[in-house]
Amino acid sequence: MTGHDDELERGRRDAGARSGEPISIEAFHGLAAAYALDALDVDERAEFERALAASPELRDEVDAYADSAAHLAEQAEPVAPPPSLRARLMAELDSTPQVAPDAARAASPEIAAPVPSVAPAEPTPSPTSTAGGSDRTVGRAESAARRRWFQRPGAIIGAAAAAVVLIAGAIIGIGWAGPNGWGAQRDMAAIAEAPDAQSQTLEVEGGGEVTLVSSADQGRSGVVVEGLPDLGADQTYELWYIDDAGADSAGTFDVSGSETWRVLDGSFTPGVAVGITVEPAGGSPQPTTEPIVVIAT
Amino acid sequence: MLEHVADGSGDPTAPPRPTVDELLGRVGRGDRAAFGALYDETSPRLFGLIRRLVVDAAQAEEVTQDVYLEIWQTAARFDAARGNAIAWMFTLAHRRAVDRIRSAQAARDRDLRIGARDLDVPVDTVAEAAETSIEHERVRGALDDLSELQRECVALAYYGGLTQSEIADRLHVPLGTVKTRLRDGMIRLRTALGVTT
Repeated sequence: MTGHDDELERGRRDAGARSGEPISIEAFHGLAAAYALDALDVDERAEFERALAASPELRDEVDAYADSAAHLAEQAEPVAPPPSLRARLMAELDSTPQVAPDAARAASPEIAAPVPSVAPAEPTPSPTSTAGGSDRTVGRAESAARRRWFQRPGAIIGAAAAAVVLIAGAIIGIGWAGPNGWGAQRDMAAIAEAPDAQSQTLEVEGGGEVTLVSSADQGRSGVVVEGLPDLGADQTYELWYIDDAGADSAGTFDVSGSETWRVLDGSFTPGVAVGITVEPAGGSPQPTTEPIVVIAT
Repeated sequence: MLEHVADGSGDPTAPPRPTVDELLGRVGRGDRAAFGALYDETSPRLFGLIRRLVVDAAQAEEVTQDVYLEIWQTAARFDAARGNAIAWMFTLAHRRAVDRIRSAQAARDRDLRIGARDLDVPVDTVAEAAETSIEHERVRGALDDLSELQRECVALAYYGGLTQSEIADRLHVPLGTVKTRLRDGMIRLRTALGVTT
């Protein structure tokens, strides 16, 4: 696939916007049919879905096309699946958490500005604060991380804007498995939906944004990254849980497309810091570069 | 004898069989029995669609399992005001099937398969209830309203799982042309099918 998207580009030009800025809604309406047919590639789809979440009119159009597409689906010859599949499914239900109806409604696109289910308890740190915010947000673990890596990199703590419900909507609402498997998607959704879920978003120096979603109850966390550069085949992003004892690898991830996410390996405990470094492909047992971002919890 | 048996159960005293929409609503509230019934009612249709896209039987099963787990997990999100339950389920199934066949590993197989396959709308050879056949005829009739080029693009996207860019490459036409055909084809289909849910 070429991945070129002249229509999206044209939409940008029509709107007088620079590349990377919001696309005109007209361009998205032109893509609604292709979206309903799943004929958009991963990047186009992600971009379209962001517009979809913000536009009830676009949503209506997609719904109408989805109904037509369902008629196409009915044309496929029914085939009974093997009986073993039903048994496997029923056995899986116990370990498959369900989305609560309330969370579903909160994450629905009709709500223009969903209220975070977990409001930030502390005042939003000043963006210019080199310390990264209040005493409460600079935990011992992050201090340890900074000692280890000399100085905190230029990451600026932005407003804790990404509401947990938005994350949940972005990940599970659209049924997007992304680069991860379905199991990971379920895990990510479970973290985001946890009653005690916390969400923090930081900007990354040089562009991009990282959101950490964590649940102390579940002992897990995940990151959603947006706008980080693709490192190519020779390098990878590596995640770290950092505490006073040092940095433990929590897995690697690569960026292809505008957005990706992953559930961290290992267990999350409140107070730990989560860092991301750029490492040689395959990852490193210990960080070899300064982190591009550290998120204190 | 002339009595119309609505639900095919053959027992006129039995309560009417719950609709797919009702079952999905109960699934959203954690009703396992409803999930089983929903599966029994819909799995041949979903599996049939998935099998059409994902030819490998084992992979098609995996995708089907993922789809039903997603249905179980997110049923509460289903909004009946936006469409009917089966359409929502088809949307989930089609998305997952397409994502599976777009994985790099499967791309070659798919190219071979599509190259060898008649791209027309599949002909359903299974004899079903009269109502379903009428519905099929209606959709087939609606598809006849599409131009040959529109039908080809829609079929390549929906039954072939190709992206619009891939369709453009395959047909050697500009991407903009494909977008136009997909959009006009779907508008025409929507119009021909009327305002239904």
